[in-house]
Amino acid sequence: MKDLSQQIKEVARSLLQDGKVDLVIGYENGSLPLRASPCFIRSAGEVERLIWNACCETNLATYLPDTNDRVGVVAKGCDARAIVVEIAERQVARERVVIIGVPCEGIIDRRKVASRLGWKEILQANLEDGRILLAGDGFEETLPLEDSLYEACLTCEQRTPPVYDYLVGEPIPAVDVIDPFREVTTLESQGADQKWAYFSQEFSKCIRCYACREACPLCYCPECFIDQTQPSWFGKTNDLSDTLIFHVVRALHLAGRCVDCGTCSRACPMGIDLRALNRKMIKDVWERYGYRAGLDLAAIPPLSTFKLDDPQEFIK
Amino acid sequence: MMDARAIDKGRIVGLLDELIERCEVFAPVMSDDVVLFDKIAWGSEARLDFGNSKRLPKEAFFPPSEVMFIYEGAQAEAPPSKGDRVLFGIRPCDARSFLLLDKVFNTPDYQDAYYVEKRERTCVVGIGCNRPLSTCFCTSVGGGPFNEEGIDVLLSDLGDRYLVQVISERGRRLLEGNGLLGEATESDLREGNRIAAEARERVTSMVETEGLRDRLMGMYDDPFWDALHQKCLGCGVCTYLCPTCHCFDVLDEGGEQRGRRVRIWDTCQSALFTLHASGHNPRPSGRERMRQRIMHKFRYFVDNCGEIACVGCGRCIRNCPVNMDLREVLSGIMER
Amino acid sequence: MAAREQVAVQEEQVPARAEWEPRVIAFLCNWCSYAGADLAGVSRIQYPPNIRIIRVPCSGRVNPLFIIKSLQQGADGVLVSGCHPGDCHYISGNYYARRRFALLKSVLEYVGVEPGRVHFSWVSAAEGVKFSQVVTDVVESVRALGPARTLVRAELRSRKA
Repeated sequence: MKDLSQQIKEVARSLLQDGKVDLVIGYENGSLPLRASPCFIRSAGEVERLIWNACCETNLATYLPDTNDRVGVVAKGCDARAIVVEIAERQVARERVVIIGVPCEGIIDRRKVASRLGWKEILQANLEDGRILLAGDGFEETLPLEDSLYEACLTCEQRTPPVYDYLVGEPIPAVDVIDPFREVTTLESQGADQKWAYFSQEFSKCIRCYACREACPLCYCPECFIDQTQPSWFGKTNDLSDTLIFHVVRALHLAGRCVDCGTCSRACPMGIDLRALNRKMIKDVWERYGYRAGLDLAAIPPLSTFKLDDPQEFIK
Repeated sequence: MMDARAIDKGRIVGLLDELIERCEVFAPVMSDDVVLFDKIAWGSEARLDFGNSKRLPKEAFFPPSEVMFIYEGAQAEAPPSKGDRVLFGIRPCDARSFLLLDKVFNTPDYQDAYYVEKRERTCVVGIGCNRPLSTCFCTSVGGGPFNEEGIDVLLSDLGDRYLVQVISERGRRLLEGNGLLGEATESDLREGNRIAAEARERVTSMVETEGLRDRLMGMYDDPFWDALHQKCLGCGVCTYLCPTCHCFDVLDEGGEQRGRRVRIWDTCQSALFTLHASGHNPRPSGRERMRQRIMHKFRYFVDNCGEIACVGCGRCIRNCPVNMDLREVLSGIMER
Repeated sequence: MAAREQVAVQEEQVPARAEWEPRVIAFLCNWCSYAGADLAGVSRIQYPPNIRIIRVPCSGRVNPLFIIKSLQQGADGVLVSGCHPGDCHYISGNYYARRRFALLKSVLEYVGVEPGRVHFSWVSAAEGVKFSQVVTDVVESVRALGPARTLVRAELRSRKA
């Protein structure tokens, strides 16, 4: 990943000095190896904290609806797409946000890296020349960066933000990913019993912490369906039926909106493959309605519209 | 400790199998790349070579969801009580958390029946931490890698064998008549002490907690909280992975004729947590909720129960999606 | 703590097939499908009695959560029926519904709910015969699958029909 930190700092500095924004949200170094952490700066003197590297995983779009400040926000391709959806859904006013677009070559999947090391604790990590240099108690290991990327990054077709006010660095051309929905079609091809077995197994790990929902930039409902009472839709215990239904309905509520940034999966403390559901919805919406979320500020969300000849093969 | 025994590492599986014949045994197991505590059917399922579990042993006493009673018409029935069990392979930080939870759920004034009955039929076999993780700060909050609080039998890894120290009467009864354990030798005991001392030295994360409560006394309106909470997503992972968190919600599921009352974990990081029926919310934003979390653990609990409600396990630090680091928060407070 | 036990519980306690009759919840739009069902009735057309009808103003009123909740509460099958596209009493309700239902059916089948549990149809007020055929179809399809066993809550699983 190119080191675009310098350019990001310069844009942030000029935005703050010229009073164009009250706040810049970017990334700074984290307190643990392979971590970058969201960074909120309000004065030009603080811009030296800003960094850019393959550890900048958090989708910063999630902070935008909660503030009334004029905000400059560092945004990767997926983050910018989430911002586009937030603007299209009127959660964020376009004039209030200055998008500092950063073309992204992929983010490190910390779980993948940890798994490759047999879950030994990593005490030091350095990124250089497309490699990750790792060290821990009694071991050193080097991993190629491209083998350590997050799953969503491997099928990312939009590495350059589709909408931005500043673009830092050179745009990365859109990639035509071969068979981007491979995992989904594999699951689709299995029998009902196998599918049920897979999803029951995977989602029985869920502890109902709702980190996925809180981390998602597009789960912003003041009252989530699962919290509704009098009457309540579904239960909140770890009961498998209630748990799986929570995730199915959340995926449905994100249909045509989810940009596959992967924040939910990363936030999940139990490492559940939440994207299996979201990718399915993305595939359906693309194949049936020719729509991809987050590319066009003026696009009408697919469930808020219709075509007279929408496919209806499933209707008697 | 009067009663010290030893067992070769190779025979620990046999010890577990013996225990399994007598009662339920919950041990660390690897499930899809995550270490959690689960009931084991065979001693060989247990994994003792782990940093710390992802899911918490406190679930044995205070599960993420439990049925309080089921009702049909006018009849209500609590779930049947189960038998004795052993929690095996508990780290001293987690064992200490049980004592902190006792201060909430088992006090002279109030005993939570669901919690107490589980505590009373459980024996805790702990294992000391030869190699604390870089995020462990147990020694800063009254704990330590080989501390005995909350533990009935403490295992120490001596390399090719475990030192097995009986700490409590319950632990003694657990091991009574066990043929697999030998007597610990003088050198075993010396080695155990040496390893324990070395482990303490290996704890590199230190947080100044002396005077922390007093410092927090004056900080309710401090602008410190304004900056701190900004990056927090309010996701609640810290609360769901914290050994000392104990907030819960009680819900009724069902209808007029039949249903059940359940208790589930709740989180102060949720906006709904303090939402009044009127619509007013005394903790309206992440700022108040983050402040509440720190105040509760490091000031209110100290005032109410005499202890910091944190055992330094580091799970919140390792699992926070935005790398909010409690050690930095606490040192930031001490520097105010 | 019993994460791994939960999955095992799913396999227990299925009621005996011989005694069981499918229970299908049918959401029918007032203007077309409900009227079509009424026409089937006054025409004395015989069709399986296994459906329990809930009248809604429009198929577009049907929240996908109704369907999921029906399955969770023990319905063996669900039918949603509305006006033909172009004939919706509220002009476009069924068009929105069509998109919603497509995604709902797709995701339910993706997680392992058997295809053949959840059905959708367009039945007009004049189509009494079609309504009876749709119901027959749905009930037989559900009967072949047996009692609900995926999304249904564990404590409802063992009840007899």
